[in-house]
Amino acid sequence: MPKFSSWLRKNAESYLLLAAQRDVARNHDRQFLASAKGFKGMFFMKLFVPIYRVLPWKVRAFVLHAMPGSHRQTWTARERVSKGPAI
Amino acid sequence: MSRTVVVGGGAAGIGAAGAFKGTKPSDEVVVYTEFEDAAYSPCGIPYVHGKEIPNFESLFLASKEAYVEQGIDIHYETKVTSIDTATRKVVVEGHGVVGYDKLILATGFNYADPGVPGTDLEGLYYVKNIRRAMEWDKVLDDVKVAVVVEATPLGLEMVTALAHRGIETHVIDHRPWALSDLADPDIVKPVEDSWAELGVKMHYGVTLEEFVGGNGTITGVRTSAGLMPADLAVVCTKKVPNNALGVAAGLKIGATGGFIVDNRMRTSADGVYACGDCVEVPLGVGNLPVQGLSGSHAYAQGKVAGTNAGGGSREYQPVYVPWGMVAGAWMIGGVAYGETVAKALGIPHVMGVAQGISRARYFPGMRPIKVKLLAEPKTLRLIGAQMVGGEGIKERADFLAMAVKTGITLEDLACMENVYSPPIGALNEPIALAAQSGLASLKN
Repeated sequence: MPKFSSWLRKNAESYLLLAAQRDVARNHDRQFLASAKGFKGMFFMKLFVPIYRVLPWKVRAFVLHAMPGSHRQTWTARERVSKGPAI
Repeated sequence: MSRTVVVGGGAAGIGAAGAFKGTKPSDEVVVYTEFEDAAYSPCGIPYVHGKEIPNFESLFLASKEAYVEQGIDIHYETKVTSIDTATRKVVVEGHGVVGYDKLILATGFNYADPGVPGTDLEGLYYVKNIRRAMEWDKVLDDVKVAVVVEATPLGLEMVTALAHRGIETHVIDHRPWALSDLADPDIVKPVEDSWAELGVKMHYGVTLEEFVGGNGTITGVRTSAGLMPADLAVVCTKKVPNNALGVAAGLKIGATGGFIVDNRMRTSADGVYACGDCVEVPLGVGNLPVQGLSGSHAYAQGKVAGTNAGGGSREYQPVYVPWGMVAGAWMIGGVAYGETVAKALGIPHVMGVAQGISRARYFPGMRPIKVKLLAEPKTLRLIGAQMVGGEGIKERADFLAMAVKTGITLEDLACMENVYSPPIGALNEPIALAAQSGLASLKN
């Protein structure tokens, strides 16, 4: 599982960033042709990225959080005593 | 008397050893490091190369004698080759089997393999070890043309340093702008413009294909855009966790490749802690695991690991990752998500962008500051920020990290109070202007 999740995270991160960089570049008047070479590139750019983008954020967040990692261990949020001034 | 073994002598390892001694002074702490030195600032190396810092000696935090006086037993140039978590023993080259009560892994990072032919050539520089940096610094005196491979944070610092040194500097990256996995194009644009003024040649959307050489030494870099002659290639690929020792011992790793730890920096093995670039920790906004953070994160994690290994109690918190650096003639920085990363992950957000100034408009040395804020659309709570300016970026990044952490909204920031003093602050705070811009865009 760690090997698959590492492979998935590495490639998903890489191609989601590539697609976002292509779109953001366009918005900022930069030219960038995101390449999708080989079967892996085609799979992620043509299939994975479009499917990921149509999923609601709650579904995407659920999948991301389901991956193994430190975020699923015990992390205690520090309680805030007050939202107002001390005195 | 118990014995705690620390593997690694960087910021995390030395932070852990010091915290352990502070918690349990009577017990033994042994540090093994593969390198000749411990606890120096590798982050300062590019600035020595760029002649902004006069020598490497000033990068050391303490002398070797100081650690001896503190009771920290450091073994230099000593490699730990295996761990048995069941019997609580490590095998150390030249020392044999060494038992431990608690083990702290602070094994740091490696640069990602460029994955092309020619990586065995002389003339490829991986910035990490200070002794090698001292040797490379002499080599740089004779370098005419250098290629920096990948415009990562270190890449930006090395490009700036080499250009300052008068070396013809090229930077290649398969991505579309410098630091594009972290920063947005409008934030980096002034940096790139200032590089161009320094004579830096930028090659974006260009893929590395091969390091080319003759007689075992690099003579050029072959890319998708053609062959670039070079005397030196500085490899600044992504930092990946150096996890081999722990993985071989059965420690669990997360999707980033970093060791899985909890808020006390405990790993999946009983009595084993980990800290620094070899672990992953959760981002406080979005709860995603992240790895390969700054030296200050590594040191703080080391303190947590060392205190808890010594029987004390200290918790690490999810991170918000304020970052900043000097690149070209500018400072850039931010916290948590920028526009590009939020877009990549598909995180819904609204944005506010504004251009302000660092001092009163009439005061000498006044520089522009651009601030971009990202907020969650329903509550308008901040989820990230990016900035570029002439000064005051670090302080704003630290402040905005606390703002993200505590749930501050665009509305809060739009009416924030600010210091007004002509030499240090303008009438209008750029953060407030960006928040006001974000709120105004929602009304349109």
